[in-house]
Amino acid sequence: MSAKTYTVPIGPVHVGLKEPITAWLDLDGEKIVGARVRPGAIHRGIEMMGRERNPIQVIYLAERICGICSFSHITAFLRAVEDAAQIQVPARGQYIRSLVLELERVHSHILWAGVACYSIGFDSAFQLGMLMRERVMDVLEAYTGNRVNYGVGTVGGVRWDITPEVDAVIRDMIRYYRSEFSAFYDIVTQDPIAKARMRDVGVLSYEDAIRLCALGPTARASGVRCDLRWSAPYEAYGDLDVKPVVPQDYVGEARGDVFDRFLVRVLEVYQSLDLMEKILDGLPEGDIVFEKSVVKVLSLLKKAEGTGWGIIEAPRGDDSRVVHLTSGNENLTWWKVRAPTYANAVSWPVMFMGNELADAPLIINSIDPCISCMERMLVTNAGTGGEQIMTREQLLDLSREKTRRLMPA
Amino acid sequence: MMNRSIDYVKEPLSSEAVIARLEERLPDIRIQRRDRVGGRDNSVQYVDLWIQVEKGRFLQTIEELFRLDFPHFHVMSGDDVGDDVLLNYHFSLFRVSEHGKRLGVSVCVLVPKSDLHMPSLFDRIPGIEYSEREMREMLGVEFEGLPMKGFIFLPENWDENVKPWRRDKDGLNPDMMRDLS
Repeated sequence: MSAKTYTVPIGPVHVGLKEPITAWLDLDGEKIVGARVRPGAIHRGIEMMGRERNPIQVIYLAERICGICSFSHITAFLRAVEDAAQIQVPARGQYIRSLVLELERVHSHILWAGVACYSIGFDSAFQLGMLMRERVMDVLEAYTGNRVNYGVGTVGGVRWDITPEVDAVIRDMIRYYRSEFSAFYDIVTQDPIAKARMRDVGVLSYEDAIRLCALGPTARASGVRCDLRWSAPYEAYGDLDVKPVVPQDYVGEARGDVFDRFLVRVLEVYQSLDLMEKILDGLPEGDIVFEKSVVKVLSLLKKAEGTGWGIIEAPRGDDSRVVHLTSGNENLTWWKVRAPTYANAVSWPVMFMGNELADAPLIINSIDPCISCMERMLVTNAGTGGEQIMTREQLLDLSREKTRRLMPA
Repeated sequence: MMNRSIDYVKEPLSSEAVIARLEERLPDIRIQRRDRVGGRDNSVQYVDLWIQVEKGRFLQTIEELFRLDFPHFHVMSGDDVGDDVLLNYHFSLFRVSEHGKRLGVSVCVLVPKSDLHMPSLFDRIPGIEYSEREMREMLGVEFEGLPMKGFIFLPENWDENVKPWRRDKDGLNPDMMRDLS
């Protein structure tokens, strides 16, 4: 086999990209016989920038690691700071954090389901996904004033309270999704072509999910019953009775393929809707933040000494932050950012093996990678040793063409 | 039930039992226990352990973790702390067991700058690959047994001798940094 490694010059720090990742696929005909992945690193720059900022400033930096799960990133960061400085968040603040985390999960999963349908050429479902995500973004805007980076989290709690008006728009949204989101549930339960494209494609076995330290829906689809909301409840989740969603509980077995990853995310949307309702029903009275004065918070943080670890179940899997504060230094001494894709991308080469090139976009998508930059892949032909650069568009065409071949004339 | 060559433990030990067992087997380690509270009544939701261990005891500590459960690896953090490079390995035990029973375990090791070598855990936990490569290129720690030596996050044409997270002469020169703010 004549696999040849190529260098694709992206990153490590590039303002337009969040997590640059390149894949090299070795092909035998249409079949993928080898795969290598190389991530770049926009957040290395962010880690250096954090050393020049105090924890309050880093919130707004951390929020910009990702657009879709910005609140997950800052919650993990804030929990690490609160662990290092031993700060206690009031119960109402914890509940509101959980609420925003679930809003974000719903947004992320709906967006993902739509994009997954797009990559197999199911354009009507893609349009539907785009339409549906508007509702949760509108709700986030009604609560925070922003649709993407909400600016709502702070050290020791949150900055805005849930008013009766916000409560009403969230409940409206829950009702809307309970009736409308069933379109995606029907895709995974009834559509034979969607099933044909996703079943037994991009398989990650249970054992490989453990060995490769897979996370979130990617691990759960392989049958691993893990969910930090259940195994290590943070914020309000200890009161909410969350059960990890694994395919074996719904369809009898977990095959760890793209279909199962789709199924897990669809079911988790319903789970999130139930959780939001529970949060709103049980929202405790009281303060939303442990100290309103940012000046007082900063002087307390300046005295703090220690390392803290924050870990939460983000839409794509667990999101880790480790923060070190040194007494007398108002800035972070260092921090470590670990987004879920950092861990899940390790599983890609295993998922690719034995699949067709046309399935590659779907497989890449199936872990819900947090990258907007999968612009090109280098395809090496194992038979002739030749190379060809495939753009994302060409790969998508291949994938969509494969679906068309499955459809009745 | 499939015959599984590798699996997680379903019946967790309490944090007290884990601490007692580790202290018995590894007399010179130091363990700090942190109760993470939350929820309406501010009760303990889960526990994190921070373990400080000598470099010479590191592998034995990891072996002990493996006797408890397959340690799920999250990430490695680290810093240049003067004469040493600090490495923190962040794991979970009992990740797939019961409500609130996952145990966060951070194993902290000081690696002297005079001998920046650590044994690689790649053969035991393949998911550690990215973190070991990251610490190698950012802090200059060599992991013995790690097959992949290429840069993972730094660009290919990066000067191998410059370790961006180091705070000494091997770190970034101020004129190599563009204004990040």
